[in-house]
Amino acid sequence: MTALSNIRHHPKDVTLAAYAAGQVDEARSVVIAAHLKLCPICRLAVGDFETVGGACLETVEPVGLSDSALDSFWLRAGRQEMSPAPASVLAANDFSLDAMHPLSRYLKDGVDAIEWKSVAPGLAQHVIPADGYRPGVLRLLKISPGVRIPKHTHGDEEMTLILRGSYTDEVGEFRHGDLADLDEDVLHAPLATGDEPCICLIATNAPLRFRTIMGRIAQPFIGL
Amino acid sequence: MFGALARRVTGQRPGGPRSVAQLIPADPDRLNDLLLQVARSADREAFNSLFAFFAPRIKGYLMRIGSPADLAEDLAQEAMLKVWRKALLFDPSKASAATWIFTIARNLRIDAARRAAKPALDAEDPAFTPEEEPPADVMMERQSRDEKIRAAFQSLPPAQYEVVRLHFIEDAPHSEIAERLNLPLGTVKSRLRLAFEKIRKELGDSVE
Repeated sequence: MTALSNIRHHPKDVTLAAYAAGQVDEARSVVIAAHLKLCPICRLAVGDFETVGGACLETVEPVGLSDSALDSFWLRAGRQEMSPAPASVLAANDFSLDAMHPLSRYLKDGVDAIEWKSVAPGLAQHVIPADGYRPGVLRLLKISPGVRIPKHTHGDEEMTLILRGSYTDEVGEFRHGDLADLDEDVLHAPLATGDEPCICLIATNAPLRFRTIMGRIAQPFIGL
Repeated sequence: MFGALARRVTGQRPGGPRSVAQLIPADPDRLNDLLLQVARSADREAFNSLFAFFAPRIKGYLMRIGSPADLAEDLAQEAMLKVWRKALLFDPSKASAATWIFTIARNLRIDAARRAAKPALDAEDPAFTPEEEPPADVMMERQSRDEKIRAAFQSLPPAQYEVVRLHFIEDAPHSEIAERLNLPLGTVKSRLRLAFEKIRKELGDSVE
């Protein structure tokens, strides 16, 4: 595994399966897609779960189309050109969700252009509403080296991806590309390590939960 | 009416019109071949067979997932149009025909929901960055991988099979599946977990 990538923390299988099933809200699918860009192992797993999806589609009770469906299909199809063969195998099968949920849709000018709002010494954030399919909230956190976030648990639907830098907590060390898909009951206090600020992308699905977490973040910091 | 024809699938009622059975393929290799025929020579006969098999299932899928019948039919048409137009992009070494068509239908449904949620949003993504190919030693031949996954899925204990199936073909969060099957939420989650573990094991992947 290490020969392939340095990523050590991955989404749970149930999370990847939900993603393949199209059951994940917009905010979490952005976080998962960003991880997939970096993680060939999880891309393979999503492909596997899509195979389950294909098998499930075959089991669906068919619902007949209208009598004229095939005729109107050919009427529509006749006016359209077929797409040319792909230039490379890389361009083929470009129907992955990955192509539809890039982080760039929300961060057009990249991580460097983010306008951070200071929350506390050594901690800044940037909040983006993730509109679209089952809206949620995307939150970016910037933690200065040596700063520790107070102990907290995660909601079931929360997910954190490390975009820059690293942090260490009770679970282990999280670096670029690692995704924390923690169980609800995991209590942790991440400490930003290394020389550069740790930038994390966090998906939350409900404003209510988001406020609760904000309350926790406003708590005094240890290690300042 | 084609339900009985999806062979090796549990929970299907036997007895469908035989004559249709010969026309309607349900075996993965045959579906792949038909799609490749469409790609090679824009073969309309082959496409009609694909249409007869998939269009009513896509419509059924979209209706189960909450689309009204007319929208589901329209989206099923749109999905099949993509299959026709993009047939040359189909690569059986990456996904089987059924998998490929499932992802097309799934993405169309998500796009439709997105348009409904926020009409002004641009549904087409401008930047598609090609990814690296998975290394050859990890990329077990797709077809044999698919076969193992399908076999594992179809031999799941009925209770797990049904939960996985609902997860993929209904717009039902875990809590809704729990309610529907009259099960505690924890049971639904653990059945899904166990099912996915089994599928992984069948692939020879390590289970964490």
